[in-house]
Amino acid sequence: MKSVNLTKVRHLMSLFSVLLMLLCVALIGIRGFNLGLDFTGGAYAEVAMATDTQVNAIETALQSVAKGSLSVVETEPGRFVIRMGNQLDSAGLDNLKAALFKVDESMQLLDSDSVSSQVGEELYEQGGLAVLVAMLCIMGYLSLRFEWRLACGALLALVHDVVLVLGVFALTGMEFNLTVLAAVLAVLGYSLNDSIIIADRMRELLRAKPELKVTQINNDAVAQTFSRTMVTSGTTLMTVGALWLLGGDALEGFAIAMFVGIVTGTLSSISVGTVLPELLGIKPPSPEPVLADTP
Amino acid sequence: MLTDQLLKSGGRTDAGRKPLNSNSPWQVLVLIVALLIFAMSALPSLYGEHASLTLAKATGLKETEVSQTLNRAGIEVLAITPQKDALLVTLKDASRQMQARQLLAGQSLKADAITLSMTSAAPAWLQSVGASPIKLGLDLRGGVQFLMQVDLKPVFDAQGDSLRSAIREQARQQAQAKDQGIRNLILTKEPGLAQTKPEATRLVGTDEALGRIKVWLYANYPDWQIERRDTDWLLTLTDAARAELTRRTVHENLTIMRGRIEELGITEAIVQRHGENRILIELPGVQDPVAAKRVLGATASLSFHSLSDSGIQEPFENTHVGISRQSVLGGEHIIDARAGSDEMGLPAVNIVLDAEGGKRMSDFSRDNIGKPMATRYSEYIASERGSEKVSKVISVATINSQLGSRFSITGLGSHQEAQELAMLLRAGSMTAPVTIQKERTIGPSLGAENIRNGFAALALGLGATLVFMALWYRRLGWVANVALLANLTMLLGLIALIPGAVLTLPGIAGLVLTVGMAVDTNVLIFERIRDKMKEGRSMALAIERGFDSAFGTILDANLTTMITALVLYAIGNGPLQGFALTLGLGLVTSMVTGILLSRIIINWVYGKEQRKAVRI
Repeated sequence: MKSVNLTKVRHLMSLFSVLLMLLCVALIGIRGFNLGLDFTGGAYAEVAMATDTQVNAIETALQSVAKGSLSVVETEPGRFVIRMGNQLDSAGLDNLKAALFKVDESMQLLDSDSVSSQVGEELYEQGGLAVLVAMLCIMGYLSLRFEWRLACGALLALVHDVVLVLGVFALTGMEFNLTVLAAVLAVLGYSLNDSIIIADRMRELLRAKPELKVTQINNDAVAQTFSRTMVTSGTTLMTVGALWLLGGDALEGFAIAMFVGIVTGTLSSISVGTVLPELLGIKPPSPEPVLADTP
Repeated sequence: MLTDQLLKSGGRTDAGRKPLNSNSPWQVLVLIVALLIFAMSALPSLYGEHASLTLAKATGLKETEVSQTLNRAGIEVLAITPQKDALLVTLKDASRQMQARQLLAGQSLKADAITLSMTSAAPAWLQSVGASPIKLGLDLRGGVQFLMQVDLKPVFDAQGDSLRSAIREQARQQAQAKDQGIRNLILTKEPGLAQTKPEATRLVGTDEALGRIKVWLYANYPDWQIERRDTDWLLTLTDAARAELTRRTVHENLTIMRGRIEELGITEAIVQRHGENRILIELPGVQDPVAAKRVLGATASLSFHSLSDSGIQEPFENTHVGISRQSVLGGEHIIDARAGSDEMGLPAVNIVLDAEGGKRMSDFSRDNIGKPMATRYSEYIASERGSEKVSKVISVATINSQLGSRFSITGLGSHQEAQELAMLLRAGSMTAPVTIQKERTIGPSLGAENIRNGFAALALGLGATLVFMALWYRRLGWVANVALLANLTMLLGLIALIPGAVLTLPGIAGLVLTVGMAVDTNVLIFERIRDKMKEGRSMALAIERGFDSAFGTILDANLTTMITALVLYAIGNGPLQGFALTLGLGLVTSMVTGILLSRIIINWVYGKEQRKAVRI
């Protein structure tokens, strides 16, 4: 396969990636997240209305009352459970009632109270611990199977992708809920997969052609896996794009997070994932393993 | 490398070596059987579920009564099936489930013995092989909602008890120090405030004694306030302390509820604090709602006591036994509990204590070898006056040797009782009793339109992937598509097999994405095959080498992701675990279909293709 000079492109992309990452960290620090009902809790109300009342009608009526996210669930014909992100004081409660009376004059408020977040505080501690342990395990496995420098590249690419997805959510102020969290975790898996496939090609080339310069090998690895990268990213982006276009509110956050994650995952596996091992001074392995591999 | 040698020898295999591109028949057989099993397991999901009611024996209702009552109200009944301890009534129209329950509850001896449930609508032959539909989450199908009231009275009561015993102890110490001033204190519960402030304590004594106690209380119990009344003093908790105690207790109960739901194997449930002292729980279609209800409301706990005639009298077998007021150890030190059997085959619970509990138990047992120790089982039972604590001694055993942090207790009625007690001890015992105030079904939290849109989007995404693969990789593309569909079937079948696994709309989107990413396995292999063919090999040889060289890459990528899934599952909780489960299963099925299944198909169709310029 012919060699392509991608060194400049890769280095420029890396610089771009690092700058973006810093920007996103700053954004997250300054703007924070617009956390959804799942994380913040809020108000809970239960109402009885005419049996032919539609959930949509209630949702529309409450748009002005509910500041955060809003969820209306029908429990049985004519009974609705309403959850919203803001707390209800007596004035807020009056507004809620007024809005609902407009939908149906026979409305009765059966119960209203505050609700706590859906996820326990242990989610943060255990979740944080889980992610940290997972990263250490990945580091261990990749160091064993590949090389610690390649492992560092894959891990930095991973952090890069997650930070960028979070950054987009901090920038746009889109609601961050459990569904988006699931998407962030999926990005984690996707990013890792992408980086490893390029790292695997780098390892193969390093063994096969130890005489080549490392930058050259990395260029070749990127070029040789490029078609695969495009096909896989393309098909997943197609799926996610369909979700974004047609999926409606329920899947919008998920689709956007995944979309950003796949694009950055593809970029970072080429930029950060290959450049960091170079900077750390990756070398072709000593000849023994190569000899052992070819009988 | 095997293939390099093959190349040098002109593609001929040595005698006795496995022929090129062939699979052993057992491989094919195992794969076909596995695919059939998973397809069968996925099948019931197509039929959906019926709304149903479970009537426990305690309702005292007979089959004929039930069908008559429901027929009179015009509610169509599909079936009434007698179960072990209950009647299962399957309804045709899900929206009339609540009405049916109300009707039957009016005739039932015990209203709360009727539980809302869902039953598979699949034909009997599918159900008879044990296949059940995939359970859908609260967003897609709704579920059951429980509103639980946390009864804080016993908690405040206990605060009062412990304050009174602390004051008595202080008075005794000061009396021993020949201090006359503190004598003749009378401490009682204030009966007038038993409902609003159960911890309220009346204090009567000389002014000097009260003055001293007041100073001591201010120094040691800042949470308490002292109010001087005509003839006595009143001790109550400050409002801030009450609020903090309430918050902490409800929070602890909330954590324990989450633990119990996890122990029940239910994922994607909602547990929220509701108002000041209520807990709102929403469970997606659970397999055994009767058990879920029993376990969520259970308040059983254990404590260990030495025997003492001057202590409290508790029932034991057919008599009573006196045990010390202060326990050696309470249930809060138990970190693990498993049901098992003792040497006689009787039910037992094996208990593991935490470090502090282990130390207390070993100190106590060392000092009391040869003496008996009682195990007390207590639970709160709802009554007209709130919840009442009911305790009994379940075993009195002689300490034969020093005990450590692991031991077992016996004296339980049945193995099922042992199972449930072990589960409750694992999840932690409630710090305050809870009662179920309301139970009802709730509809899906996503509107019908949202759900339709979601599925349309998924269908489009999946369809686009299939079309792209067929166009891009031509001959091999359709193999990838077969593998992809087989992957989806296997994954759905596996998820249906796992009890408690629940699919939400984002979960399904994640699933389709996992499948979309699984295409990667085939893409990697096909790209390698293309490379090998460009290098001038025949198609058969390129297939052999392509699979061979892609395998390492696929294995490494999948194993690394698998590590992530395993760690998230082992350490994470709730939503993280649900995600890790589908991710991990998806990896396994994608390896099986992407490598094994597509290899079998390709071998069968193109395995002997010796032409070189085949376009793929």
